[in-house]
Amino acid sequence: MVRWLVWLPVLFLAVRSLATRWFWPAAWPGEWRGGAWGAVRGEPVWNSLTLALAVMVGAVLMAVFLAGSFRRSGWVRWGVMTLALLPPLAASVGLHGLFLRVGLTDSWWGVALVHLISATPYAVMAVAGSLSRFDEDLVAQARTLGAGRWAIWRYVKGPALAPGLATGAVFAFVVSWSQYVSTALIGGGRVVTLPMALVGYQQSGDEAVAAAVSLVFLGAPVMLSVWVERGWES
Amino acid sequence: MGRAWLGILVLLAGCAKPREVSFAMWAGDEARNRYFETVVREEVKQKYELELRIVPYGHTGEVVSKLVTEKGAGKTSGGSVDVVWINGENFRAAKKAGVLWGPIEMPRLYPDEAYEKDFGTPIEGMETPWQNAQFVMAWDTARFAEPPRTLDGLMEWVKARPGRFTYPAPPEFSGSVFTRHFMLEKGFDGGLAALREMKPYLWKRGETYPATIAELDRLFANNEIDFAMSYGPSFASERIARGTFPDTVRTFVFDSGAIGNFNYLAVPFNANDREAALTLIRDLTSRERVLDMAQKLGNAFPQKGPAPGLERGVATLPLELLRAKFLPEPDADELVRFEKAWRERVLLGR
Repeated sequence: MVRWLVWLPVLFLAVRSLATRWFWPAAWPGEWRGGAWGAVRGEPVWNSLTLALAVMVGAVLMAVFLAGSFRRSGWVRWGVMTLALLPPLAASVGLHGLFLRVGLTDSWWGVALVHLISATPYAVMAVAGSLSRFDEDLVAQARTLGAGRWAIWRYVKGPALAPGLATGAVFAFVVSWSQYVSTALIGGGRVVTLPMALVGYQQSGDEAVAAAVSLVFLGAPVMLSVWVERGWES
Repeated sequence: MGRAWLGILVLLAGCAKPREVSFAMWAGDEARNRYFETVVREEVKQKYELELRIVPYGHTGEVVSKLVTEKGAGKTSGGSVDVVWINGENFRAAKKAGVLWGPIEMPRLYPDEAYEKDFGTPIEGMETPWQNAQFVMAWDTARFAEPPRTLDGLMEWVKARPGRFTYPAPPEFSGSVFTRHFMLEKGFDGGLAALREMKPYLWKRGETYPATIAELDRLFANNEIDFAMSYGPSFASERIARGTFPDTVRTFVFDSGAIGNFNYLAVPFNANDREAALTLIRDLTSRERVLDMAQKLGNAFPQKGPAPGLERGVATLPLELLRAKFLPEPDADELVRFEKAWRERVLLGR
């Protein structure tokens, strides 16, 4: 029963996105209208989705490469943690200058890269967590049995680290999905994502439109976590 | 041979891509977004063979800081913004940092004062007027017939009905202009004293204020407070159409006047295509366009001369009245000082 309470805010958003003329003390809206959903444009959804998926893949790859040295080397740990702890605005302004010089601004690739920089620490930490419970002797055993690098990953390390990889992937997706400042600066307004659409509507107080955009915004992470949870249970 | 093919490919790619003009605008108003994405985009394509690209922003300040960074990094051409919608403090910051291109020459369709100062900053042709905004308050005729139309009348009203009035805390735009009206009418110290006097009778005894106009709207729609306010003269009509205000809401201005300002269009120093930028500005500031926007979006009509046949929203005041009551904004410096003083002496009560 309690589980279902989680969906209560979502239900409220759904009602809010369709309701107009909803005045106190009425418990129920005076009129239903679907017009607010027209504000959900395809381009921001597409951009947010492609960016988040690309960042998810990129961050997991980074995590696979960095997780080992993250555990061993204090320097790598320090570097990765700094990325996670820097205030996003400061980091974005600095990176904006750098990206300008190398011509990465105002493009999808530049935004993907800056999201990747923000998402990598979380993926690395998740994978490093799994790695700390991994027995390196298993790798040695596999090697004595004649397994190559690829086979070791495919049959030994990969399955053992799967929970960490999945958690890292979800984290990376969500971090990219919710970026605002870095997208606005590096994307120069050319790469419009869902959070950028949302901020404008929230400020103007158009609640129905903000609710509709919020629901779409909630949709992808919710589906992703449901999917991961399913994977856990099976 | 290979190189020739490459050349042809590049040529083809160049032909296939229409000439683009990008317009950075604040994108929090769904009706306006839609108007630009459909009507303006279509007409600009038909008339000038330009592909309009909207660069939406949550705050115009973001565009300015982006331009400042680009200037610092030496990106002096090929910028991503050709035209920016700007005014006030953002214009002052942009002008000071030298990130605008100009002066811009346009037919002078607006009243003379629109070309002189923008919140006290001399314009000197670095931006060109586009639309205007004016401060109005709203009440619900279903609750009471007439609102108070002077500051003293409002003071009495607030004292007689404690807890039924509030305003968004400056620097929120509408709350800020509301307090500024006190400054214009009663002077710097007199205005602050009046606002202090009012404070204990406000919603939640003035211990807290709504942070956004959306919160104020909600309090008003829920009948917790008696008045809503906005820097957009057609805001009440808009909210009625949207269904967030009851149909019985109307707007009013103080007898002493209503503070207003113009907002502008400017061209960034590194605009990719200045010629296209000027074409777009000429279209957006043309009489037909401004009338059409007034008609379809309920904007004010800020240009000189009458606007025949202009349909106003049900709760929007007549154009002539708004024009007659227009009070210009004080200098941006003084505005900032007053906001600071409000915080110290009214909010914190020191």
